[in-house]
Amino acid sequence: MLLCDFHIHTKYSDGSVELRRTVDLFGQAGFEVIAITDHVVNGDNSFGKLAHRFRFSIKEDNFDEYMSCVRQEAERAWDKYGMLIIPGVEISKNHLSPEKSAHILIIDIKEFIPACLGYEKIFLEAKEQDALIIACHPHHSSEMTTRDTLFLWNNRDKYAKYIDAWEIANRDDVFNVISLKKYPYIANSDFHRPRHIYSWKSLLNCEKNVESIKRCIKHNKGVAITLFRN
Amino acid sequence: MIIFLIFSCLTILGLIAYGFQIWSIRSTLKEKGTGIGTEKDSDTDKENTTMTFPAVSILKPLKGLDDNLFDNLESICLLDYPAYEIIFSLQDHNDPAFKVARKIKDKYPDGDITIMVERCNAGLNPKVNNLIPAYKIAKHELILISDSNVMVGKNYLREIVKNMDDPDVGLVSNLIQGVGGRSFGAIFENLHLNSFIMGSICFLDKFLKMPCVVGKSMLMKKKDLEAIGGFKAIKNVLAEDYIIGKKMHKSGKKVILSKHIIRNVNEYWGIRRFLNRHTRWGKLRWKIGGIRYLSELLSNAVFMSSLPIFLWEPSKITISFALIVSSVKVIGDFYIGKIIIRRGEIEKRRNEKSSVLLFYYLLSPIKDWLIGLIWFVPLLSNTVVWRGNRYIIGKDSMLSSCPETGIWSWRYRAMDAIKTRFA
Repeated sequence: MLLCDFHIHTKYSDGSVELRRTVDLFGQAGFEVIAITDHVVNGDNSFGKLAHRFRFSIKEDNFDEYMSCVRQEAERAWDKYGMLIIPGVEISKNHLSPEKSAHILIIDIKEFIPACLGYEKIFLEAKEQDALIIACHPHHSSEMTTRDTLFLWNNRDKYAKYIDAWEIANRDDVFNVISLKKYPYIANSDFHRPRHIYSWKSLLNCEKNVESIKRCIKHNKGVAITLFRN
Repeated sequence: MIIFLIFSCLTILGLIAYGFQIWSIRSTLKEKGTGIGTEKDSDTDKENTTMTFPAVSILKPLKGLDDNLFDNLESICLLDYPAYEIIFSLQDHNDPAFKVARKIKDKYPDGDITIMVERCNAGLNPKVNNLIPAYKIAKHELILISDSNVMVGKNYLREIVKNMDDPDVGLVSNLIQGVGGRSFGAIFENLHLNSFIMGSICFLDKFLKMPCVVGKSMLMKKKDLEAIGGFKAIKNVLAEDYIIGKKMHKSGKKVILSKHIIRNVNEYWGIRRFLNRHTRWGKLRWKIGGIRYLSELLSNAVFMSSLPIFLWEPSKITISFALIVSSVKVIGDFYIGKIIIRRGEIEKRRNEKSSVLLFYYLLSPIKDWLIGLIWFVPLLSNTVVWRGNRYIIGKDSMLSSCPETGIWSWRYRAMDAIKTRFA
């Protein structure tokens, strides 16, 4: 089984650890597959503008640099740790109301997708790039400092058809409602600080390459979740 | 005023002791053959070509994820040594270190690497429990116990095995250098390893000729270990390294401190982990050293110099005195750091994790203050929590299980409940 984490932030957005050190942290801990998913925040409201101002967001103008650094690290991680790194982003549509906010992981992204596009456009653009779409922390979170992002869950009838998997567990939270609806699921850490490495993770029973991993998650066969503790 | 004078005298005594520690570190590291990682003297090279190097079994007890675990384990696979086997020993397949050990084994398929997973409850010391199954399958006469949190250079094994040429040598252990540090806990840990721990070891070795063993790296012969009772003799003690050293010394064998420095990479420790470890170490030193444990408090000049501020008054004179002593300590620790870095210059260029950043030495007085505060804990409590298990610690660090029932168990339960509540 491959020990995986598909939701990791670095200093490219609001993570506290540099990309290289983040990769080392997961590599040293024996992970098989990780996805680097820094925020792409919508810049069409004051939240987004602040995120852009304080560089908590990947923007169109530094997206290529971000991708090239992730690819460079992917090569290093493969040689040193035998760990696969998949580039991704977390499209973050932040609004004052949690009911209007949503975060979406786009795994194996190739081209920049602006967060200010409409949901359907974002999903279609991601599909076009053959990327994986994951709805992250779709339910109420237990962390006081985290803002809930409930839009996708509240509108699941409309958008579930576009979503390849839902985060059934994020860091220390388990969203059992996902299992009730029998949606495909994965578990991630939403890594921002070193201590977040000890959290819920996914175990995949498939080959260690991008296509097999995407297939495994989409078909939701051979997927398990585990609480990674030291 | 009398309080201030008493504590000033104690502080000056502490600073003198600290001066001796610096001197002993300096003279130890100046000796031929001292080095970190890949550093080699040309004389050492010549010696190596004329020596024979017997095969060694390296026992690596693993439990959980240490910082830098992958690199630590990999460094032991890259040794420049003719013949050696590595045994990674774990209690459980679900241990996260198992995956890392597997990766290392897969990465070095030509290496003589065994992963031994066997639950062993022979004693109360979890490290010894972990070592017993590995020892059973060790093929060679020379065994090296190497902790999972150390990173070694290529010539490490050659350097320490050389000492075994003397048939009277029973045990070889090494100096440790704390490196890395991305959190306050890790920085404090590294500062403490590089000043107090290294200073004390060098001081005891140099001036008092006391057998000083650091459990992170212990090389010995099987027959010598068995002559002192083997692992069974230490299965219920917390300070297994100290007891092995003591028993070896008693049996007439020399206990050698190799001047080869090994690195302990501490990157993301929390303050709590730092305090827990040094409280545990303090408890075992109190149980082993008895009244000599008092010398640790007296040699903590920063702590002693600051006490008059609280016990007398926070006046100009007391605050200035504390600040001057703190500055002296910062300079002293910085100087020790410089000596260590100079010795490992080659390795430093190759590995960014080879030193504590200079700025961090400014935190040294805060670390000393915390250490001063936790010095008192062993006097009040005789229980330790190690790797998730709670024990009562007795004379010579002998462990016994903590009672699960009875009146005393309530305080542990209450403490656990409070900790859980605040987690």
